[in-house]
Amino acid sequence: MLHRLESLESCTYDGMDMTTRLKRKQQYYVVQNNNPVELCASSLPQFQGLIGNNLGSGQMVELKRPEDFLGTDDFQEFVNLPVAGPEFGYSEKLDLAPPEAAADYCISWTSSCQITTLNTAVMKEEREDMILEKMESTTGSGRASFNKRKAEAVADHKRNKGEGEGESEVKTKCSTEISRNSSKENSKASEVQKPDYIHVRARRGQATDSHSLAERARREKISKKMKCLQDLVPGCNKITGKAGMLDEIINYVQSLQRQVEFLSMKIAALNSSVELSVENLPMKEFPAYVANFPAAAKLPEMAGLPCFELNPLQKESVKCMLNESMHPPQTEGIASASVSISEQSLSSSSMTQLQPFSTWNMDPQGLYNMYNMGFH
Amino acid sequence: MASVITNPVTNANSDRSSRKKKKKKSSAAMSKENQQQSHAKWKSEAQQQTYSSKLIQALSQLSFNSNISSSTSSSPSSPRPGRAVREAADRALAVAAKGRTRWSRAILTRRVKLKFRKQKRNRGSAAATVAAAFSGSSGSRKPRFSVSKLRAKSLPTVQRKIKVLGRLVPGCRKEPLPVILEEATDYIAALEMQVRAMSAIADLLSGSGAAARSSSPPPPISQ
Repeated sequence: MLHRLESLESCTYDGMDMTTRLKRKQQYYVVQNNNPVELCASSLPQFQGLIGNNLGSGQMVELKRPEDFLGTDDFQEFVNLPVAGPEFGYSEKLDLAPPEAAADYCISWTSSCQITTLNTAVMKEEREDMILEKMESTTGSGRASFNKRKAEAVADHKRNKGEGEGESEVKTKCSTEISRNSSKENSKASEVQKPDYIHVRARRGQATDSHSLAERARREKISKKMKCLQDLVPGCNKITGKAGMLDEIINYVQSLQRQVEFLSMKIAALNSSVELSVENLPMKEFPAYVANFPAAAKLPEMAGLPCFELNPLQKESVKCMLNESMHPPQTEGIASASVSISEQSLSSSSMTQLQPFSTWNMDPQGLYNMYNMGFH
Repeated sequence: MASVITNPVTNANSDRSSRKKKKKKSSAAMSKENQQQSHAKWKSEAQQQTYSSKLIQALSQLSFNSNISSSTSSSPSSPRPGRAVREAADRALAVAAKGRTRWSRAILTRRVKLKFRKQKRNRGSAAATVAAAFSGSSGSRKPRFSVSKLRAKSLPTVQRKIKVLGRLVPGCRKEPLPVILEEATDYIAALEMQVRAMSAIADLLSGSGAAARSSSPPPPISQ
């Protein structure tokens, strides 16, 4: 039994993309083999039933597993082992990785070796705990060291790929093999928490250096976030490159902040004239307002301010606030616009450009486009 | 937010593996969800309603305070009357964000920090110095772009822009790029919602103001 487990372990080790902990696990596994086997035997019949039940679902889940490499939660769903949980309290002893369990599972399902399945189930439980413990314990250790070890493991795996992989993959189902291969093609950098291990696989034909792996993971994270921002900021579809994107983002944030500033001044001006109380406002009409006026653009508002019903005092306050808020005038257009309003003259070029814009129902993105057209 | 904090604690009694699984799942899910759902979250009508009601409450409080204290003191509150509405709006936005993001937490602690600094100065110096220092500090709080422009080619182009963006988003001055990008995503969505809500409020006010003015003679303006 022990011998068989060892051999199984070795072939799975060769066959799978492994993290570095496997090297150390090898030794642990040899030592601790005795105990699980004994207990496995006792609870065998229960587990047989479980195996039978889970066979269908197990294979389905197997397809997913290579994808969520770090997703140990899949393991839990995969085999609900009331047996394995409380009885095998070897959580402190073994240090094994989920991919190994995946390989073992694949192999054991196809070979229908119940005891090995049990063992792998046991291993899986312990592995999870050990992984998590390992993660917690190595919080202090630098990421670089881990990446180095991980790179070694990846490099080792690449070397052994030829001989070992064929052996193990023959045993597994074809679908799992395909999914596993496809997952290798996509380098996974699913970072759960900061101290966790990043399981990144080097793509075909790319450097397996630890630094470049970490760099690649970092760059992909950043590009993913930039893509999210690209959807938010209007007019960024044509722009490629970080510098241009950042420019657009900065401009957009500034314009939004300025809009908020103007709107707050407007509300302050209105506040002083209208006594704001909850009864005054028709709260029921609010949804209607929200629907009909997505956002009154502020710049057309400024164009329309002279037409606004402002008594002299309010005009004064608005003027003061406009002057106040123009701390660093980012664009000359805005500054000139404020000056023109304070002077009650709409002769400046920027304002004349804005005058034809009589569309009041604009969302901020529309306003931004207009702003761009006017000032760039 | 409280539930997120106490989750690991309450699960201590349950099976160890299941607890760790939950922790990992929640953190993994959150990091993905944060980006995908931030836009959806801020775009929802419910969120806008919540924010609008909070802002209106704050505004009513503001006007109430200013009306009461205008006769006694010179300025209604520590920010100048021009900035009061803006501050209230930003704080309401940060509250609507439920403090899950850096920028919201930074906004919420802005006033606290200023008050703290003010208290410190009060203990050390006279009241006149305090007023001058405080107005100076509040004025210099705005990001100064002129200083960085003096040094040409101080940093590579992208690095400079990252710094600028970091200064724009509140609370992200010293954060690395991925953090800044994440915060900017949420912040932009929140700002858009803020503009929508505030313009709706302004229209509401102007509408009700026009109605009030047309119905009754304009009330005497006590400033």
